[in-house]
Amino acid sequence: MKAKRIDHVGIVVKNLEEATATYARNFGLTVDPARGGEVPALGIKNAFMPIGESDLEFIQPLTDQGPVAQFAKERGEGQFLLSIEVDDVAAAVEHLRSLGFRVGDPNNGVAFVSPKSSHGVNLQLIQRQGR
Amino acid sequence: MTGIGATHIDHIVISSNNSEVVAETFRRNLGIEIRRTMSRPGTGARLAFAKLGDVILEFAGPPEPDPAAEVKARLWGMVLAVADIAAAVERLRGLGYDVTDPRPAVQPGALIATVKSGTGGVPFALIQYNAIPHESPAGAAP
Repeated sequence: MKAKRIDHVGIVVKNLEEATATYARNFGLTVDPARGGEVPALGIKNAFMPIGESDLEFIQPLTDQGPVAQFAKERGEGQFLLSIEVDDVAAAVEHLRSLGFRVGDPNNGVAFVSPKSSHGVNLQLIQRQGR
Repeated sequence: MTGIGATHIDHIVISSNNSEVVAETFRRNLGIEIRRTMSRPGTGARLAFAKLGDVILEFAGPPEPDPAAEVKARLWGMVLAVADIAAAVERLRGLGYDVTDPRPAVQPGALIATVKSGTGGVPFALIQYNAIPHESPAGAAP
């Protein structure tokens, strides 16, 4: 497995609109209107702000269930997830599982590594098309 | 280019109680090459650096980790690269942020300033490379 690039950093916030407005007004970042929104399956809404060759993903929990809500409950706001681009997410998942990692099945080019396998760091593997 | 002249995420800091073990986990299993290890001058904190694209992963831990302790890590903070750190600090202070004066960074020739408030719970700093004259010793990068 070869990690290629930091795709994005996930940041849990209490209020998505306020957080992105702050980063836009004060730091000059811009929300990508083509991505983000509500993700009912994950109980979140999110927005992406590109910077360099990566993005900041701001994530607000919409329910009190799931890992994002749990993070918000325990730690409030802060960095939640590191997303790493790989060439082949299926092969990366297979590789990590062979090493004993707990990794979810790939879905739409994305797989989540259990933090229990990475000393507590939430890792996401992502395969980008045509990048 | 952004309002503070940020060009990219320069560093993402992964803090732990044993940076060598965490860096080795990332190297061995994720194929992330560790390019440099060092002790932070002054504190002795053990640091390991890797680079993925234009982003540096900094693994930070205590000088003498307890080898018997369960290794725990967390995403801790972020450093944005800026073109003009003095201007960026002045802008943020003008917006009411508590920002330290720029000071020499671990990276040769670089200045760093810490943004101490208003970043949505993310410890946050700014760095400008080639801000002060320096010689480039072998193995100094990143």
